[in-house]
Amino acid sequence: MEKLDFAGISRVWQPFRKDMRKYRDVLNFHEDYSELLINTEILSYLIRSLSIYEMTCAALGHPGGSFSEAEILASLFNYALRFDPENPSWNMRDIFYLSKCHACPGLYAALSLFGYFPVSDLKWYGSWGSHLESHPDCLRTPGIEISGGSLGQITGVAVGRGLAIRRRGPDHSDRLVYVLIGDGECNEGSVWEAFMAAGHYQLDNVVFLIDYNKVEAKGFLHQDLSIEPLADKLAAFNLNTYIVQNGHDVSEIINLFTHIRVQRCGKPPAVIFNTVKGNKVRMCQYNPNWHTSAPRHIEMAREWLEELWEADGKRLGVPHEFCQSLGNMIEIVPPQQENPDEISEKQA
Amino acid sequence: MAQFEIPDRNITKEMRYQMGYALSDLAYEHPEIVALDADLRSSTGLHIFEHFHPDRLIKCGIAEQNMISMAAGISQEDYIPFPCTFDAFSRRFMDQLYITVCYGNLNVKVLGAYVGLFTGKAGATHQSDKELSLLLRMPNLRIIEPGCNDEMRQALRVAVDNSGPFYLRMVRCEVAENEIYNGYKFQLGKGVTVVEEGADMGLVCTGYMLKTAKVAADKLKKKGIKARIDHHSSLKPFDRALLYDLASKVQAMVILENHCRSGGLFSIVAEALTLKGVGIPVEVIGTDPDDYIHTGHINDLLHHYKMTSDDVVEKALKLLKLN
Repeated sequence: MEKLDFAGISRVWQPFRKDMRKYRDVLNFHEDYSELLINTEILSYLIRSLSIYEMTCAALGHPGGSFSEAEILASLFNYALRFDPENPSWNMRDIFYLSKCHACPGLYAALSLFGYFPVSDLKWYGSWGSHLESHPDCLRTPGIEISGGSLGQITGVAVGRGLAIRRRGPDHSDRLVYVLIGDGECNEGSVWEAFMAAGHYQLDNVVFLIDYNKVEAKGFLHQDLSIEPLADKLAAFNLNTYIVQNGHDVSEIINLFTHIRVQRCGKPPAVIFNTVKGNKVRMCQYNPNWHTSAPRHIEMAREWLEELWEADGKRLGVPHEFCQSLGNMIEIVPPQQENPDEISEKQA
Repeated sequence: MAQFEIPDRNITKEMRYQMGYALSDLAYEHPEIVALDADLRSSTGLHIFEHFHPDRLIKCGIAEQNMISMAAGISQEDYIPFPCTFDAFSRRFMDQLYITVCYGNLNVKVLGAYVGLFTGKAGATHQSDKELSLLLRMPNLRIIEPGCNDEMRQALRVAVDNSGPFYLRMVRCEVAENEIYNGYKFQLGKGVTVVEEGADMGLVCTGYMLKTAKVAADKLKKKGIKARIDHHSSLKPFDRALLYDLASKVQAMVILENHCRSGGLFSIVAEALTLKGVGIPVEVIGTDPDDYIHTGHINDLLHHYKMTSDDVVEKALKLLKLN
């Protein structure tokens, strides 16, 4: 993992598994289990920190959703998914689709930490010519399974993928398809078309993950268009519904992922993660204003990094130098061309 | 399971049924082919595919958006999905096609059935004459509108042989086995000169309108006017070289399409000629971009929109200032 030299990450964290193509069974081994939990918490901390780094460099991004999904992504990549960063199209891999594509800063951070591309690439997020687009492009970014950005489409892609994997026969029978859906995204009717199809086809190899952070771009879900009673609705669509009480508790998430993998029951699992939008950065938490908006300036980003370190880094044993050196590396990437026509455009 | 009548492949001339047979034949050769249906299979011809490959027709219910999303996911496991519904309902899944399928350049082959006017009495909601306006602007998408059953079969094969998204626009009605010439080979990105009488009038057509162009060319011939017919079944990519060749040899052109007179073949031709600085008199045969297709018998629709061979002749004579 020489790619983790960036900001001294390799001294702070290494992936829990040596070989990401295999599961590492931990629940029977007390010490390994403790190590997995701490390792995954550090990973969640790094996903948030690197999200701040890339969004500030880009003056672009969606902190709210990237922070609410951090533990879900960390548990998936560190524990639940089997994949091969050296061979992203390895045909026996599990599939992870990010349907709430705007939260890709978090996903880009996770992919870079697992070696799909150098962590230093994150600096170029959103820059002209970079492989890290505002919303993911599967033809350009290693590890991205599908292009997207228009909500409500990828839930159905996951259903098609699960159906096709089942058609491929017993050799592929233990491959799982995970799709992370936004709660606001559940306003889209096409999401429910996909749920209906998954229930009908009894696709227990498709795992729907709903990041229920209660906040959308311009307001609160329960005020704009409520999706409640969500658990009842999912159950009524013939899905096997689970609720994660605290979507930021990696032990709760990991235990559930283990259960889902080994207890397949002929119904597609649907997991509601109770999360906090913008979690771990006070000004972002539960605040629609930080759905779309990068930190306004480098000082603000450094304050956020400091706050993250106080909340998580410190207790997890991450040296303070990491947070400082990452903050010092932030550089707002300028456009490559001069302003041709006195155009005035402000950051979102 | 509902039982649908399977038409005799040696008797039926309807493009939809011949499509059902052609896709079934291809599926024997290519075990990776599957078809997706949104509750229209006996209308689109997919019931024939289901008859031969019952386990390879995936029923998506009346959920066109999800059908395209599912096709995208299915294609990612190395299957070749053919989602099929009425072309009119492509209006429901344009975004799925644009973002999920075309942006990712996925190997999805969409079959648009019942295109244009030749599905008489289907009415404004079920007939399609505006869709090319957006389809033609989708990067990575290849669009073919075959003019006869032989060409439709070849187009299906080309869609299987070339990776990436395709859209095939197909009529419901009867068409000839071969309107072009014996031994014709369809090529992606190539048009074909079907009739070459001489150099007075160029008729540029696509899809079903090839037949109308041929009838019109016969009528023009009787009036002493020599026509050349260029058939462009490959709308995207489009054969500009053939168009420029025609423009350099005829005095005027009539463009014929089973689509409205904006956003489709006429727009392709107009853009190409304008950019090349070719100033040639042009007329267009097609439906009204500013109106819905109201319900009526096909004969009445064709007369209302002035899409008969007589209308082609009239426009040609006007262009040549002979009437």
